[in-house]
Parts: sequence; C-alpha cells; structure tokens
Amino acid sequence: MILEYHRPASLEEALRLLARNQPKTLPLGGGTYLSRKVMEDVAVVDLQALGLDFIQIHGSQLEIGAMARMTTIIQDNAIPAMLRSAVEAEYPLNLREMTSLGGAIASNDGRSALLTALLALDARLVWLPGENEVALGNYLPLRHAWNEGKLIRSVLIPANSRLAIESVARTPLDRPVMIAAICQWPSGRTRVSLGGFGQAPILAADGPDATGADLAARNAYLLAEDEWASAEYRSQMAYELVRKLLHTMKART
Amino acid sequence: MIIHLNINTKEFDLEAPPGATLLDVLRREGFFSVKFGGCESGECGACTVLLDGRPVNSCGMLAAQAEGHRIETVEAIGEHPDQGWKKTEGLHPIQQALVEVGAIQCGYCTPAMVLAAKALLDRNPNPTEADVRDALSGILCRCTGYLKPVQAILRAAAAMRGESVVGLDAAGEPVALGWPAGQPPEENGLPPAPGIAEAATRQQVLPKIWVAHDPGTRTSVGKPERKVDAIKLVQGKPAFTNDIEMRGMLVAKVLHSPVAHARIKRIDVSKARALEGVAAVLTWQDIPRVVYSTAGQSDPIPGPLDSFSLDRKVRFVGDRVAFVAAESEEVAEKALELIEVEYEPLEPILDARKAMEDGAPIIHDEPEYVNFANSDPSKNLAAEIRIDIGDVEKGFAEADLVFEQEYSVPKVQQAHIEPHVVVTYWDEDDRLVIRTSTQVPFHARRILAPVLGLPIKRIRVIKPRIGGGFGGKQEVLIEDVAAHLTIATGRPVRFEYSREEEFIAARSRHPMRVRLKTGVKRDGTITANAMYVLSDTGAYGCHALTVTGNTGHKAMALYVGDGEYRKSPNIRFYADVVYTNTPPAGAYRGYGVPQGFWPLERHIEHIARALGLDPVEFRLKNAVRAGELHPFSTAWSEGREPRPEVIHTVGLEQCVRQGQAAIGWERKFGNPAWHKVEGRPELRRGIGIATVMQGTAIPYLDMGGASLKMNDDGSFNLLIGATDLGTGSDTVLAQMAAEVLGAPVEDILVYSSDTDFTPFDKGAYASSTTYISGTAVVKAAQQVAERIKARAAAMLSLKNQAPWDPDEIRLAESKAFAPDGRFVTFRDVAHNALHHENQEQIMAVASYFSPVSPPPFAAQFAEVTVNTLTGQVTVERLLMAVDSGVIVNPLTASGQIEGGMTQALGYAVCEEMVYDDHGRARERDLVDYHIFRANEMPALETIFVETYEPSHPFGVKAVAEIPMDGVAPAVGNAVLDACGAEVFSNPITPEKVWRALRMNNGG
Repeated sequence: MILEYHRPASLEEALRLLARNQPKTLPLGGGTYLSRKVMEDVAVVDLQALGLDFIQIHGSQLEIGAMARMTTIIQDNAIPAMLRSAVEAEYPLNLREMTSLGGAIASNDGRSALLTALLALDARLVWLPGENEVALGNYLPLRHAWNEGKLIRSVLIPANSRLAIESVARTPLDRPVMIAAICQWPSGRTRVSLGGFGQAPILAADGPDATGADLAARNAYLLAEDEWASAEYRSQMAYELVRKLLHTMKART
Repeated sequence: MIIHLNINTKEFDLEAPPGATLLDVLRREGFFSVKFGGCESGECGACTVLLDGRPVNSCGMLAAQAEGHRIETVEAIGEHPDQGWKKTEGLHPIQQALVEVGAIQCGYCTPAMVLAAKALLDRNPNPTEADVRDALSGILCRCTGYLKPVQAILRAAAAMRGESVVGLDAAGEPVALGWPAGQPPEENGLPPAPGIAEAATRQQVLPKIWVAHDPGTRTSVGKPERKVDAIKLVQGKPAFTNDIEMRGMLVAKVLHSPVAHARIKRIDVSKARALEGVAAVLTWQDIPRVVYSTAGQSDPIPGPLDSFSLDRKVRFVGDRVAFVAAESEEVAEKALELIEVEYEPLEPILDARKAMEDGAPIIHDEPEYVNFANSDPSKNLAAEIRIDIGDVEKGFAEADLVFEQEYSVPKVQQAHIEPHVVVTYWDEDDRLVIRTSTQVPFHARRILAPVLGLPIKRIRVIKPRIGGGFGGKQEVLIEDVAAHLTIATGRPVRFEYSREEEFIAARSRHPMRVRLKTGVKRDGTITANAMYVLSDTGAYGCHALTVTGNTGHKAMALYVGDGEYRKSPNIRFYADVVYTNTPPAGAYRGYGVPQGFWPLERHIEHIARALGLDPVEFRLKNAVRAGELHPFSTAWSEGREPRPEVIHTVGLEQCVRQGQAAIGWERKFGNPAWHKVEGRPELRRGIGIATVMQGTAIPYLDMGGASLKMNDDGSFNLLIGATDLGTGSDTVLAQMAAEVLGAPVEDILVYSSDTDFTPFDKGAYASSTTYISGTAVVKAAQQVAERIKARAAAMLSLKNQAPWDPDEIRLAESKAFAPDGRFVTFRDVAHNALHHENQEQIMAVASYFSPVSPPPFAAQFAEVTVNTLTGQVTVERLLMAVDSGVIVNPLTASGQIEGGMTQALGYAVCEEMVYDDHGRARERDLVDYHIFRANEMPALETIFVETYEPSHPFGVKAVAEIPMDGVAPAVGNAVLDACGAEVFSNPITPEKVWRALRMNNGG
C-alpha cells in the first residue's frame, strides 16, 4: 500500500526522496499505474511540480520533458505528425490528459504504437542525476528493475527524420497485434521497429539504408507467437507492413 | 494525511490515507455522480471529473495529486428547473440536449459525458463531429452506440452559440402505409472513407418509421417523450445501488479459486479472522449447504440445481472459496491474502468437445444435484434438446443439394459499465433488505430465501436504477455473498465486483459449436434444415437449457421452406449443453439467438451463392410469413408444454426492401467497380445482409403486474415490478398509461421496483417488458379510467337531464369531457373522490401473461472495407430495418437498436473470452476485452417498419434483443462479398481473414 505521498518542488528534493529504500520510494509520473492497488508498502513521489512538462527543439533534436502529457504532445506541431497520430489512437482523451511520456515509457508494453515509434526514432532518455543519456532500446529490457534514486528527466528524439507507422488491429482503436514503424534520416539511415507483441517492441533493423529491412522484419518476428496472434501471421505482417511503409516513404521522396 | 481539495469551487480539508484515489474520496464525500466502473486504470471513464477544466479519470489518480487543482463534478452543473419557491437556472444546455434527444439510457456514464462535453465546449464552441467523438473517447458506453450523445452535444453546441436547432418532431407524424413527409426512403449518402468513421450524424434525431397500418390518433404512444428518469440521471443524482452510505457498513470481498478444478483439502482462515478490522470470514464449513440455481427465472427454474453459496469443490478459475467482510477494502484484501487453502487438483475439462467423452472427469459429483429434464451430471450434461419438426430425413432425400458446414461462436461478456453491486442490511423489523442492481428482484427474493434460511416474507429486495445489465443481472450472482455476511455480522455489507471479477466470476454468452445441414432444391426451395449445437455452459448450468433452446427456437424458425414445405416444414434442432471448467455462461441480450443466426445466416449466404441465387430473394422465398404457425410452437417452449402459435405480423419483406433502398443495395451488390477503392489496390469494399427474428416474452409463463393510483392533483403513481435497466421501459410504460388516461407523461410518476411495494413482475428479460408489463399497465389504466369516467359522469350530469353514461365520457388533457363539451379536470375528480362525495381511492391493480410470443423481424445490413494484405476489417456502416410492431417511443426504441448494433458489432469483430491451458482468462479488463469507443464507430442507421401486433393493446412487439442477432453474420457476409474470405467463426479477426484469403489462393 502507499504509505507516503510527496510532491517535491525541486529536482534535488525529488532525487533525495527517490534515493530512499525505506520505504521503497517510486516516482508517480502519470502512467496511471501506480495509483492501482500496490500490494507492497511504498512511498510515492509526485513529479507534477518539477517543470518537466516542456517540449523544446535543440538543433536537430527534440527534447520532450518526461512529464509532458499526451495531450501536450498531440497539440505540439514540432512533434512528428505520425507520432502524434499514434498517441491519439493509443490513448482515449481522458488518458491523454493524465498520462505522461515518462510514465508511458516506464509502463507500456509491446502493443504500444507510441513505444514502437519511439524505438524506431532511436529515442534517448536523459536520466537524473548526471544527465546520462540512455538509448530507449537499452532501457526497455531492464526497465522493470527499480531505478533507485534515478529519474527520467526528458526524452530526446530526432527532429530531422521521417517516421511512418502501420498497424493491424481488430478495430480502428483496438490494441494492435502488429505494429511496424520506420524512421529514416537524411543520411539514409533506416531503423525499423516492430510491436504488437510481448513486453516491449523490438528493433528489427538499423542500417545505413533500407536494404533488407523487410526480410529483417520478417525474421525478427518468426517466434512472435502468443494468444493474440500466431508467429506465422505476425512474421508475414512484419514483412508486408515494412514493405508497404518503405514503398510509401519512397513515394514521398 | 490531510488533503486540501477544491471541489466545485468549495474548499475541503479531508482526512484520507496517502493511497486513497480521488474517486474514493469524492464518493466518500457524497459526490455520487462520479461512478465506479470496476476498472482501476481508467479504461471505462465512468469516474471522469474535470481537473482544471480537463477530463481525467478519478480512479487512476491519487486524491493527493489533485491538491492545488480545480475539481468539477456534475453536482455543480445544472439543477432541476423547478424547485418550488426557489428559482434555478435549470439544467445546463448540454444536459438539456442529452435529455431531449434520448441520449441517456442507463445513465451510469452520463455524468462523465456531461463533463467531457463541457470541457470540449468550454474551449471549442464550434466542434466538428470528430471533435465530439474524440471528447467522448475516454468514456465507454455500452448502451447507446454513442450516436445520440454525439447528436446531443452537437445540438447543445449549436444552442449555446445561439443558433436554432431542428426540432425533434421534424420527421412529421406517421402516416399509414408509407413514409411520413420528410422521410425519404432513398439511399442516404455514401459510406465514409476507410479509417475512423465520421458517422453521418443527422440533424434529424428521430429514426425513420415506415408505417404499415393505420396509426390512428395517439397523444402519447408513438411520441418521442423524454425519459422519466432522465432528469435525475443527467444530474448524477444518487440513484444507483452503490450511491448510499450506511453507518457501520462493511466491505465484502471474495477469495476466488486460482485453479480450474479441485477439491479444497484444507482451508485455514484463522489468520484472516485475527486481522484487525475483519468482521467475518466465511467458508463452506460456516454456512448451510443449500443447492440452488443462480438463474433468475420463474418457478420452477428450467435447469438443474447445481450451485452452492460456498462449496468444498471449485469448478473454474474464479470460483468462490471464501467470503470476507471488513472495515475497509484494504483490510478485506489483506484478509484474503491470509487465507490458506490447500487444493487437491482434479483434471479439468476446458474443451466442450471432451466433456462427454468416456472417462471424462465429472464436474458435478455432489449428491445434492437436482436434475431438470434430461440433464445428467454423470455425463457432464447440463441439458439436452431433441426437436424434430416434420420429416427431416425425407426433406433431405427430396433435396437436389445438401449443404453441410460447422461454425462456432465465442464466449462474450455483457460488460455493463456498472459492475454487479449489492448492499444488504437488517432493517428495524429484522427483515433483510437487499438493495441490488438486478434485473430480477422478485426472482432474487424467491431464490435467496432458502439459501439464506429466511422465509420470503422476511426479505425485501430493492432495485434502484441499474447501470446496464444486458442479461448479466438476470442472475442471483452476488446477493448471497453480502447477505450471508450481514447475517454473520449483523451489520450492513457492501459488495461490488471489480472489472476483473466481472470477467473471471460473472456470467457470459454461451460459446457454441454449430453444425448446419440444409437441403435445397435448385430453385432455392429449402426442403429440410437441421442444426446440431454443442453448447458450453461452463461450470454451472444456469440458463443452460433455455439459452440453447432459443438458439434453435428463434433462428431455425425463420426459414420454413417454400411451397409444400412451407405448409409442413422439416426442421431439426438437437443440442447438448455440457459442463466445462470455465466460468459459467448465462443470460446475455439475445439469449442464445445470436449464436443461432451467426451460423444460419452465413450458411444461407453460402448456399445462395453456391446456387447462383440472389441471397436476398433466396431468404425471402423461404422465410416464414404472416398467418403461418411458428414452427417451433408445436414442439418446444423453454422446457414446458408447447402450444401452437400463429404469427400474425411479419414485416420482414418490407424491412428488406426499405433497408435495401436506404443503403443503396442495388447500386453496390454485384457491382465490381463499387468494390474497389481508388488508389488503394489492397482494399476491397463489401456489403452484406442478414435477416433475423426474435421473440416477445415467454408465453404462458412470465407475468407482469402494475398498480396505478390517482393523487389529489390528478397525477398518478404507477408502481411496477418491471425493471428498467436503462432501456427506457419505465418511460414507455408511463406513455401507455398516459395514452389510456388522457394525461401527460409527466403526470405518471413511475416507481420500480421494490418487492415490498410494487406488484410482482418477472423482471427484465426475454424482450418482455413493453409487451407483458405494458399490457398490465394498460389494463390497470383502463380500470382507473373507468372509475374516473364513472365519477366524472356523475359530476357532469345535470339535475334535469338523464345522467351521462360513463362510456360517453372522453378523457384527454387531464380532463374528463362530457359529450356536450363540458368537463371536469382530473384534479376535480380526484378531490371529489378523496374528499367530497362517496369517498374512494381511485386505483387499480392488474397483471398480464401472454398466450403468445409474437416475433419481431429485421433486416440487418453491413458495409465493410477489407485490407486484403493484412486481413483487417473496417466496418463502415450498419443499417437495421426492424419490424417491432408499433413503436411506443421512437427515441428509446432507436436507442435500443443503436446500442444493440454496437454490442453486436463487438461480437462481429473483436469481442471474445479466451482461456489458456489451465483455464485462466486472457481477458480481465476492458483494454484486452475491447468494446467500441465513440471515435471508432461506423455509421449507424435505424429504420422502423411498423406493423400492428393484434395481441397487444397498442400493437407492440419487442425491440430490445433483436439488434444483437444480425450484425455479426451481416459483417461476415460483407467480408465474403468484399474479398471472398469465408470465415466460419466469429469474431472475424484480421488473422482469420488473412488465413481464409490464403486458403482461397491455395496457400
């Protein structure tokens, strides 16, 4: 159960609180999940007063504060349109108003189009203290470990790349069973991520161009079987969707 | 901790634990408009409040997080316009619009919708339809299909901008044999573009009504009257079961089984009982062992008695193991963790096909088991049905071709937004009061009495407003839990299911495997039709026989054949209903009939295409017609003696024709150009139809009663046992009383239902309330009208003239008119009766049961777009043309159709409950169990084809369940039409379509 609630006014105070292990102290970032019944005894630190809800452009990078709400992200034209669309489809309005980007990164699973898109964008997480940058792809496999005394300050994504996403679901707004996202940089670098399965999306390809991305996608999901879809289907869809996305991106250039 | 909250501009200092959610604190402080939908991560949105003007889910945030922000609830938005001497500004325009257009059904999510709309219009006074749908996207509504709420918000926005809004009566008055002025039968536009649908929300709110009889002159019946409970619901008044606080009330929790099949070897509750704050812990050892059925049906229950409040054996993951009552939810949860249970695992049956195999484990081996009809627990058989009409084998022998195919339908959930909830307490007379969200208060009282060891007379069941039921609350599901704990502790107890419990431990629609065999002449005459069903009732046999019986009774009655076969149809319906170690199935809107029409309408489509026949004409050629016997009426009646029954009204052909015209069938069906989407070669459009029928009530069995009493001012109290679960039945019953009495609907004060005060009623199921309870109301109203006329005749008679014959008195406008035009008001009559002369209470009680069950008919149309690359199906448009007899209230009736179509759409494409190899549920919340949101809906359209059913005083037939029947097969047929993919099981998921397409391509 939640034993303590704190709303620090400074990052220093927040970090000091989060460094405690008696009681175990967790950030309350707007993922809507910590408010659920917590069976272990914990303290929570509400991050709403720390000014982490910003969106800034630094040259070819966009920096989004970890506490930026999904509503803010959707309404900011600096954010790639496809990313905004993915957020809009994934979150009903009420949850857009509540969920922060940091909260989503910490808690969303593999069926999240937002997370799949961020992985394709090679998003980097800026951690406090120290402002260390960690690639999202490196964080996802480890995120369920307790980051004692640490806090995601912001998320960096490229401002000069092109993003495209396709997904398959039972209804227009159902959780997808298959997601493919492609990001291409002016240099030709192409990253392909896949979602719709598992605890987190995965990276299928990251190369100087798109060569072989469709086959890589198919191979990446060869074992992606669960109760929602077969691996055979997902693997084939990964191939088809990536081909389609590449075709679409090529047509736009 | 002390939390400082600003709620509706007032400051509060509230003591609450740090982990208290904002929802908990608001409801504790009496803000009951903020509802609990059972979820804990905000997927349903019933708990919406405005935080600094923005909609958020109060269940998903801590109360402490809201400190420093402005909280708004519906309690601060709008008031009843008339509060005696106090002047108010009345309802907010958004509330007014929601009431006016009939956008409120159960009303459980209505306060959330009001807030979401207010947030939208405060920042965007001129929203598009897409804006409105997006604003509602965070609020799940299981009743309305969102169309009327969207219309209401658009109308409110226009009114708030000062623009004129088209009146509700723009559709004009119904005319005989045709369309009223302003209701063109022609096709209504093109379907929206693929993707998130922009449903064509029309200025005209009322549905189209094609009238096939002389409607005569009516003052109340047929009018879009405001729902009688709308004003309180739109204000979020504490109208629901859980909107009550009692001193000393305990919270109940149930320990559910983690295993599918086991005996309880040992259960130790000592630690739980020792926990501070725990008032009682009950196991099977603590309460009487009484076998019963949880099915809320009339006596004798047509099914086996196979349930106990608590047992020493568990039969599914989610079955009951122990009950706890504690001072708080947290303490109760902790107590559950402290209960030690040692299970002796037994082999489970998770596949219905294995239930009757030799050597299969026996799920019900208890000696107390009571059989009904052919149930046989030694074979895991809960019910067996064998019906042969005509000579089926001869019919097959005479056929040119015989088509045979197996289909399957899934287990699905009612998913009412208000969970099952009950409050129990001893009253001052030591009678047990059960305040519960039930569709069957009288059945609940009767069934619970022996379970609790109380006589019926010492139990009072109160049914407040119900936040949706759809059959899920035609079950005595949780009332016994709270009641046992009240008996154990002597204290009030509240028990409410979480959303997860709704999925693992409530009821659902029976999943079935269905084999169809149909003999056909080359000219399209059906010579014989046979259906075999293997139905899975889960761990208990509640509704096992009757649900599955209806699968055949309704679906297999539609196509009788043509020519000689029409005179003597050859129909077979065999079913085995088996136990498995999965959560029990039960009643769900449609009650077995959707399970029948998915295979039947897919099969009929397949046959028509195989024979090269027009699928529409093939259906109409073989469909039952007016004046013919209901073929099953000679063979089956819910386990009771069948009695032959003639079907007097069949508007099916007109439904088909009007539906075809409205959807543009001729332009689309068989037109290759229409099936293509320009610039998107992977997309294909398709159009499909399904024709369906239902029933109206259960003949010779279910009864409804009504009591009507005249008050001093000429108003009337209408007391009914019928249970309005959001359908608007209280309103249509009031309309019928008003029509008979010549009074306005607002002068009919409806109260339902309370076993102490209202007459018996079978409850809300079997599409019966308007028909059965409505006839009871009409009979009571006729008796009251007679008394009014008699007294008015005396009052209006002149001394020097012969007295007026009471039959000459006409009642209208709350007055009694003599033939010479003089009148007395109802107030005059009431005062005369109550105070002045030959004093009497003008009142009457009446009841009704029906010898017939006249079927409604419908044609359901669907348009889809299929992505042939991925198999993804997007349903673009649903149109339903329905013959439900005379429509008493076009707003509530069309609301039923729209909401039903939306539920059925889930059955078509996304809803199903799946279990793993251990019997554990895949779906445990409304995220994985996806129900349609406002911003992903296809266009919806309703057409009523009014026939006049002679067995009802106003000519009505049922409307509530039939919209569940045809959507899934129409979508399936549209998918087939689009791309040739033949999918035999619903829901039609992308992978199934992809596999079917691959099969077609030789893959």
